Formats: sequence, structure tokens, C-alpha cells
Amino acid sequence: MTEEAVLFGPRQSLAGIVTEPAIRGDLRTRTAVVLLNAGIVHRVGPGRIYVKMARALAAMGFVALRFDFSGIGDSAVRHDHLSFEKSAVAEAQEAIEFLKATRGIERVLFLGGCSGAFASLATACCDPRVTGAVLINFQTADDDHAVAPPDVSTRKAAHYYWSCALFNLTSWRKLLTGKTDYGQLTRVLWFEVRRRLAFKKNELREPTHLETSLGRVAARRVPLVFVCSGGDPRLQDLREAGGQVLKRLCASGEVVLDVIHGADHTFSSIDDQEHLLKTVCRRIESMQHLPTVRHGLATGAEAAASCQLLRPAPVVQVGTNARQGRDL
Amino acid sequence: MPMNSIQKTLPFYFRLSDKPLFGCYHEPPANRRRQVGVLICQPVGHEYVNSHRALRQLANRFSEAGFPVLRFDYYGCGDSSGNTEDSSVAQWLKDISAAIAELRRRAGVFRVCLVGLRLGAALAVLAAAQRRDVESMVLWDPVVEGGKYFADLCLLEKEMLRFRAKRRRTEKVRDGVEILGFQWPRCLISEVESISLRTIAGGFAKNMLVMQSDLSRGGDCSQDQLDLCATHLERRSLEAPEIWRPTVDGSLLVPAQVLQAVVSWSSEIHS
Repeated sequence: MTEEAVLFGPRQSLAGIVTEPAIRGDLRTRTAVVLLNAGIVHRVGPGRIYVKMARALAAMGFVALRFDFSGIGDSAVRHDHLSFEKSAVAEAQEAIEFLKATRGIERVLFLGGCSGAFASLATACCDPRVTGAVLINFQTADDDHAVAPPDVSTRKAAHYYWSCALFNLTSWRKLLTGKTDYGQLTRVLWFEVRRRLAFKKNELREPTHLETSLGRVAARRVPLVFVCSGGDPRLQDLREAGGQVLKRLCASGEVVLDVIHGADHTFSSIDDQEHLLKTVCRRIESMQHLPTVRHGLATGAEAAASCQLLRPAPVVQVGTNARQGRDL
Repeated sequence: MPMNSIQKTLPFYFRLSDKPLFGCYHEPPANRRRQVGVLICQPVGHEYVNSHRALRQLANRFSEAGFPVLRFDYYGCGDSSGNTEDSSVAQWLKDISAAIAELRRRAGVFRVCLVGLRLGAALAVLAAAQRRDVESMVLWDPVVEGGKYFADLCLLEKEMLRFRAKRRRTEKVRDGVEILGFQWPRCLISEVESISLRTIAGGFAKNMLVMQSDLSRGGDCSQDQLDLCATHLERRSLEAPEIWRPTVDGSLLVPAQVLQAVVSWSSEIHS
């Protein structure tokens, strides 16, 4: 395995690391996996998980490129005022072009956590060179929420109450002896009530951005794998925003949803990191055997229209969170 | 790899024959180039991830002020080769020496200023004391007592564990202690715990700045011992966030006032 530091893009301003097998020429070395930043954490990823993933993928025979979007890590800031939704896709496509120009690679799988998952799906929507994507703790667009989500600490608290405190004797004792933050508890309950009411009301709603994007990618038969931490509130957001389309695609096997129980948003336990690593390697291995469906490259206007389907929420990463989720 | 006028940051690997290290070289503008290179010694583990953004911006500021700058990752950290579990303090001190040599070669300078944050600052002091060819040093919230530092890390992990699911019995037992997603092997823990900057013999740097970024904690009283390390030692305290700690919303903090103070001091010393 070798690692090389690279600069690419029209201004040579995107910094990344290419990890590749020592021996090239295998079919797999003609496939690359591009890892997109998880939030604003630079290309090593939380807990250095991207480094471990890139090395594991190189050991399996793939070329891995993990790079920083503009303004993150070692990549220079853009000065064209392009929104994240557009610049992320443009830069992901620059990564594909770089791999083609320097390694002759045409098959590319995308992998990203949080907003990196969002950028991966957005790129898969508008670029037919993307032959699969692994989306870790996918961050849904703001517009896809039935009710505007509260601040991060209330969301974390909500998840903690439902999945941990509800079954914990000490927490009940604190509640009954006045040692609980009643203000926060009220905010959490109010948010949940509004969310459940809105969800019922929205059963006949217009398709969300995520549903539209899933439909578009599924029509091209691009395999998608969602990997979610059981302890991350985004799992619930994904189920709500994905709605019936996600359920149907999961049932037909066109989309896979893996839940890692007990893991938090950033996989801050090494056991969870190992679990994630195994899941990612297994899913990428299986994508490798799927036939490639190729279409012509989208025109600029088509690509822009496709990318509009997904709009990112602000970059937010949460710290640790709790306990178990339920499968779809 | 060619460097152009827009991108003046060059990522690369060095010490290729043995345990390659990742470095990022910041070239200063030719018209205000100084004859002193700055080597940034980063912290380790989660503190490295949390402070990367601030240290990159610090490197940019140094570079704009005319200093050639090298940031690098220790063996087993960041983009460098190796795994965290194989790391050791002895190896990291060798890495600092290799990085000093690389900075001198690449920038064509001999005089070097070491800038370290947290454990990076402690490692910088240990390396400078061994080598005795370092011109000046900036210690940003240095770890003075390794034992206290590691105890604080364990407390932080415990605090974070409160919100995490309990471990299943089938999970692996590993050597050492896990701190926020990074495995600290036992031998590394003992090396870190044995660090005490009180025991360092003095006078190995002409000038030293100790930057304390959190007034509310009153600083680390052990830092008084650092008086012996440099001919001229200056202390500054600024009310600024502890950027190496995890934040509630996962944001990465950049304390502009600290970066400015560090670069101003260095520019003055090396004018």
C-alpha cells in the first residue's frame, strides 16, 4: 500500500491523500472510492476513521482518495461565493476527473459521513460516473423536516430521553426528586408532539427532496447504502424524509439501510469504528460485483437541476449520544 | 509537485524510507521572507482533530508574516504512516527532529522556532532540550505534567461515556485505554505520564512565549517551572476557548486573538 499527498482541481487548491495498493493492474484498482469530509472535520475523519477506511480499501485492491472540500482542512477557500451544495458537487466531480487523468479510473464509488453523505448523494444524482455510494449518518435537508429541528443540545437530549433515560431508574428518580432540567424536558416533549402531528398530516405530502433523489438514483440502478448510528437522531430524520420511497427501495433491496446499534454520530468508540469499517468494506465489496450502468455525462444545466433536488442543512456535527435505534 | 501563486500550501510526505510522515509546507511571500522557519508541533488524539483548523490558520498567519512554516503529523497520527496503537513518545521526538531537518532543507534556513500546542508543546520542549539548536519556542497551553494531562483525558472520556450505550461483553479487550475514539497503549501512557517539564535542564532556547488561553482556570501553576527553560521567557494570558476540547455542536474553534498574539510575538523576536 502507498500513500501520496496530492493537489488537484483547476486552481490546484484541493488537498488530498491517495491510498492505493502496492500492486496495480487488478480490475479493482480501476475502481476508486472517494471519501468526502464528515462535516468540517478534515480528511482524516473523526477518530481517524477515514485513514483506517482508506487503508482497508487499498488492502482490498481499491484506490482510495480522501480530500478536503474548499475551506476545510488543507484545501484553500473558494472566492467565487458558490454555495456548499454546488461547490461540493463540483469538487467531487473534480476528484473524479483527477482520478481519471492520473490513474485512468472511470468507476467511482462515493463515501461520506454527515454532510459528506449529503454531497455523495447529490453527486450520484447528477454524475453517471458515480457507480455507488455509502452514506453514513446522512444529513437530510432542512426542507425535508416535517417540523424545523430544534438546537443540537435539545435534539441530543430528546434522543437521550427516548432511548436511554426512559429505561433508566436513576433518571426516573431524578425526575421525581426535582433534579431534572424540566425546561429542557418540556422543550423535548413539545418538539416530539409537534413532529408526530406534522408527520401524520404529511402522509399525503409532496415528495421530499430525499425521496426525489432516491427515485432518480434508483432509476439509474446505482446502489446506495445508508449506514446509520443507532444513537444518532439523524436516523429518525432519514426515515421521515425518505418516507415510502425509502421503505420501498429497502424492501426491494435497491437501497440498503444498515444500523449500527449503540454507536453515536461520530463513532467515538473504537468498537463502533471497527463495526463501521467492516460494514463499509462488506458493502463496497458487494457493489464491486454489480454491473455498471453507464449513461452520457449530464450537461451543466441538467447537473445543476439535479443538484437542486438536494439542499444541505448547515454543517453540524454532534458529539456523543446514546443507545439503540430500531430497524426500518 | 509545482506550487503556483494561488496555492502556497504544499502537502507532501517526507522520511519516505522509514515510517513516512505527512507534512504541509507554507511558503511565505518572497518579498518578506524571514530567515527563521516555524515548525508547528500539533497535539495528539482527539485534540489533534479538534485543533487542526486553528493550527492551519496559525500556519497561514505565520506564512503571511514571512516565516516558512511546516506543519506535520507524528507517526501513527493524522495522515502519517502507522497506527495510533504503535505510537510512542520516543518515536514522536524522532519525528520532530526529522521535521526540523525537513524544514531546514526545504526552506533553506537554519534558525528554527518551535510552536507547540498541548502535548505538542511538551514534546517540543523535550526535543529542544535534547537538541539545543532551537532558536525560540511558543508553548500554547502546554502539558507540563503528563500524569495530570492523562488523568484529565480519562475524566473527559468518562464524562462522554455517560451518554453512550454500555459495552457488550463480546467486544474485544485491548491493550491500554480508549480516549474519545483513540486507543492509547499502556507503554505510551507510561511515557506520557512520566513527562514533567519541571525536570528539564534550562537555557536551551533564547526566547520562549507561554500562551495560556483560559483565564478562568487560572493557568497551570506548574508553568512557573518553565522559567528555567529559556533565557527570556514571556507569559501571556488571553480569555479564549480551549479549542482542543470537543464542543456540543461539533464546531471547530479558531481563537483569532491567540493566533495574532503568537505571530506578533514571533515577528517581534525575529524582526
